[in-house]
Amino acid sequence: MKAFRYVRVSGGAGDVGKLVRKGATLKAGGCDLLDRMKERIAEPADVVAFGEVQNEYLRAIAATPDGLRIGALVTLAEIAASKKVAAHSAALAEAARRAASPQVRHRATLGGNLCQHTRCGYYRIATFPCWRRGADVCPVLVDGAVQDTAGVFDNGECASAHPASLPPVLGALGARVVVRARKEREERAFEALWRQPAKGVHEDVALAPGEVIVAVVLPPLPARTNVAYEAVRQRAAFDWALASCAARVTRDGGKVKAASIWLGSVAPTPRRAVAAEKALVGKAPGAAGFAAAADAAVAGASPLPGNTYKVELVKVVVRRALERAARRER
Amino acid sequence: MPRKVTYTVGRAGGPTREITVDVHDLDVDPWGADAELRVVGTDVPRLEASQKTTGAARYTYDVNRPNMALCRLLRSPHAHATVRSVDTSRAERLRGVLGVNVLVPAGGRITFAGKGVVAVCAENEETLDDALHAIDVSYDVTGGPVTTDDGRAPGAERVDPKRDNVNAGGRRGRQERGDPQAAMAAAATKVSATFRTQVQTHSALETHGCVVEHHDDGTYTVWASTQGTNAFRGSMAQTLGVPADRVRVITEHMGGGFGAKLGAIDEWDRAAAFFARDLMRPVKAMLLRRAEHQVAGCRPDSIQELSMACDGDGKITALSGTTHGTAGNGRGGAGAANTRIYRIPNLAMEQVTVSTFTGRARAFRAPGHPQGVFALEGIVDALAIAAGIDPLEFRLRNDPHPLRQVQWRLGAERMEWDRKRREFPGTGAVRRGVCCAAAVWRQKGGGDYVVNLEIRSDGSVTVKNAVQDIGTGTRTVLAVLVAEELGIAPEQVTVRIGDTQYPAGPSSGGSTTAPSIGPAAREAGHHARLRMAELLAEDWSCKPGEVRLDGVRFAGPGGKSATWGEACSLIDKSGLSVSGQRRKNYGGFSGETAGCQFAQVAVDTETGVIRVERVVAVHDAGRIVDTLTARSQVVGGVIQGISYALHEDRQLDRNLGDMVNPTFDTYRILGIGDTPRIDCLLTTLDSGFNNAGMMGLGEPVTVPTAGAVANAVSHAIGVRMTEIPITPARVLAALGGVR
Ligand SMILES: Cc1cc2nc3c(=O)[nH]c(=O)nc-3n(C[C@H](O)[C@H](O)[C@H](O)COP(=O)(O)OP(=O)(O)OC[C@H]3O[C@@H](n4cnc5c(N)ncnc54)[C@H](O)[C@@H]3O)c2cc1C
Repeated sequence: MKAFRYVRVSGGAGDVGKLVRKGATLKAGGCDLLDRMKERIAEPADVVAFGEVQNEYLRAIAATPDGLRIGALVTLAEIAASKKVAAHSAALAEAARRAASPQVRHRATLGGNLCQHTRCGYYRIATFPCWRRGADVCPVLVDGAVQDTAGVFDNGECASAHPASLPPVLGALGARVVVRARKEREERAFEALWRQPAKGVHEDVALAPGEVIVAVVLPPLPARTNVAYEAVRQRAAFDWALASCAARVTRDGGKVKAASIWLGSVAPTPRRAVAAEKALVGKAPGAAGFAAAADAAVAGASPLPGNTYKVELVKVVVRRALERAARRER
Repeated sequence: MPRKVTYTVGRAGGPTREITVDVHDLDVDPWGADAELRVVGTDVPRLEASQKTTGAARYTYDVNRPNMALCRLLRSPHAHATVRSVDTSRAERLRGVLGVNVLVPAGGRITFAGKGVVAVCAENEETLDDALHAIDVSYDVTGGPVTTDDGRAPGAERVDPKRDNVNAGGRRGRQERGDPQAAMAAAATKVSATFRTQVQTHSALETHGCVVEHHDDGTYTVWASTQGTNAFRGSMAQTLGVPADRVRVITEHMGGGFGAKLGAIDEWDRAAAFFARDLMRPVKAMLLRRAEHQVAGCRPDSIQELSMACDGDGKITALSGTTHGTAGNGRGGAGAANTRIYRIPNLAMEQVTVSTFTGRARAFRAPGHPQGVFALEGIVDALAIAAGIDPLEFRLRNDPHPLRQVQWRLGAERMEWDRKRREFPGTGAVRRGVCCAAAVWRQKGGGDYVVNLEIRSDGSVTVKNAVQDIGTGTRTVLAVLVAEELGIAPEQVTVRIGDTQYPAGPSSGGSTTAPSIGPAAREAGHHARLRMAELLAEDWSCKPGEVRLDGVRFAGPGGKSATWGEACSLIDKSGLSVSGQRRKNYGGFSGETAGCQFAQVAVDTETGVIRVERVVAVHDAGRIVDTLTARSQVVGGVIQGISYALHEDRQLDRNLGDMVNPTFDTYRILGIGDTPRIDCLLTTLDSGFNNAGMMGLGEPVTVPTAGAVANAVSHAIGVRMTEIPITPARVLAALGGVR
């Protein structure tokens, strides 16, 4: 790790933002950042102790008229254990509970979970070339590379897969992201948070310099709406998902009135499966409709020779998530 | 003069055998199959259990000496390259850098990723890391094969320019008997398949390394994470150019080795030793996890092309096959289908090693066996099914080991074989399967190791030997054997081991530690007991022969009796010192220990995810001294075996030659959430080879697991699984779900 200045701030997100605007890197739980710093793929001169900020807004899970607000510094363990979260969406609690290990969950924050970088081994090991770190080509795309955990969508230039467990569920819940930009807090659509990979750019979130995520707001769910989360992990616990899906289904009579389907771990960013939603809406919530949605979800997939199986997994998690969402009460 | 002793070896209740052996005149009579023992063969908690669980146990990693410096190597990220230039000047100018040592100068050739190029010594972690990043090495990168397939390909870059990568290994790599061709032609049933296994790294929780301290009088103390304190000392002394008695090696507790920490010292130990010698400061060098995966050993992969045949009675008639595998840039064996477990009258097997530009394999818990048994049991299973015979029945017909015949039945009953083979795989997305595989091992231990034993008038008992406890329970086993002889509890025995200032002990390899050192401890206990009898006889005015140990009390004529404490009060100030020695192996029941395992799996046929639901492990290791630490070995072996079957895989980029998953979140090891119920059945017996009837256990327990798991998956999904690790991708491919 390269020597850095560790800056504590007395104020809140605004003060943190000022420092970040000047080029400082923000540290929340540090689970992701410190690993990258140790490997020197991140070499910040200044690190702001965002995780030490004692601020109710940042640390609370609060029921508000706009919906359930979860502060950026709330940990995965807190989300997993929260009654308020469970009451709003058991799927979110489940995704938090199944992520990582108990130690990591007690340290990792919601904001960090959204902003964590890819776990691609080539990106994470400094001695490998990586397009995201400035190399001309992504080595994962070359024949002979290790491709089993790489992405199967949008992988033309970077085959990374977004590793986070929470984003697909937040996407399906229609979450809005509260960002502190300069003096103002502003809300953004969840989809607007993500950016496609670019050469030399490490981040997957589209935050301007100085912008800090301060909370996520989950709007109230419409009636007759259920959300479910499904993930495939090679090991039962403490493993990265190979593919995940969160699905929200609103029924009306015998039909699906609205649906939101998000995929995780299969593309450089969390991915909304718009075609699958379209295939489902207006259909009866049953095997035929779910299978059609699953097929639609993988339309446009471009698996590598080493990860064609992931396309099958996507279909399975979409179908299973839809089956559960159609069954589930909340 | 040795004396003749006739006694029964084997398993109480059968099978047994009467043998007559020449027992060394100083040794104690062997116990025999029917012996009734007080503490031997019971559950005795590990002596250091609370130290280990509270964190008080001090591992090499925990040793921090005053004024200690740190050492680490800059490693080549390239598998095959020539060093063009090395510029260490920036690093040398950093404050706190104490030494820089170029290991591969310009012009030097690199033949695996991870090779140390420059060794650096610095005051602290931060400076060390800065220094390593301030060194500029440029390479002419050549590239070259890192997998067995690529290494074998025509025209592949040679690892050793003077020799072909492919090495048929001559006579050593070949086994032949009978006429396999004729037997194949005449067979009632014949099957062929190619089995593939991956490279597995040892992944001990404590990485390799040591702390070297150079004293003013020219002697050295070295704390080392090693499986052989004496071997490490010899190698270290040679490196330093001093007599071995100037070097003291200490391994108080050890965080696992699995074979990777046997024998000579390593590149990083050497680097630390030279810095310690020249700087007159203690120097610590422990590997980081990535380097541990890259350079500190692995189990070679294998590609095993096999054919097997049987006659109309389901008797195996022939096995033939060729194995290719790579042990890295060396020429070690890859491991081939085991040919001793089943009766195979006609045989033609060849083992071919393929050199590649990768870190070298090292002995790994039952070298060659887990991969060999995986393939053997896979082909046996396939043959049984092709012949229409229940796979267990088929094994019973072909297994000549009298004890394994018993074990197969025990395991099958516990697993409910008949019912499950009938009811599984069932219907629906999740299918179940159950199957089995055999274990074999043949280590009896040996050597002429001496154990010293001291008893003081306060009743304290201390056992001393340089042997290390690599986590297997050696310390506890020694205490149990001494306690048995002296009528005391194991916790009353202080065991001082892992220190070369005591008499030499065996290296922990080949599952030989317990049977090599245990009998010496028993003999020492026996001599101590005789001395105690002499003291009591004097006190009681009787003959020593009239003093008996009656459970936990000494008893003499006329109702005389003494507790351990009372007896010890007769010992004078200088204490009582005796020693025992490991004598040559005596007769024996069977030179091969036996074992078998049954696995039950559930396979999600839509995702390809496998959960092992249950394992029944039946093992023999001669007499089991401590059933608790023995079961712990079995459980560990099973976990490592499942991990090998389903998860572990050293993934190398074939173009760049380096490992892509050198961390524990990407190099998957079976975790708690996936660990099944493991039933451990120990068919203890008296092996007859030494006074305690012991044999080795650590390795055979991991031999059959992958085979049993893979066969159970095959049962569950109806497709023969011929490649491990059996990942979701492979299951889906086998089911044809992936086009
Ligand atoms: C072994 C291991 C296993 C794991 N398994 C899983 C898993 O199964 N599922 C899963 O989802 N995750 C998993 N994780 C990842 C873990 O959840 C994330 O690393 C963690 O959530 C990051 O949160 P943090 O607070 O520690 O972030 P930090 O490491 O502090 O920050 C991460 C990045 O986000 C930026 N950042 C943090 N907060 C904000 C904010 N509020 N606004 C703007 N930028 C911000 C930081 O500047 C930094 O670049 C695992 C991690 C490890 C080490």
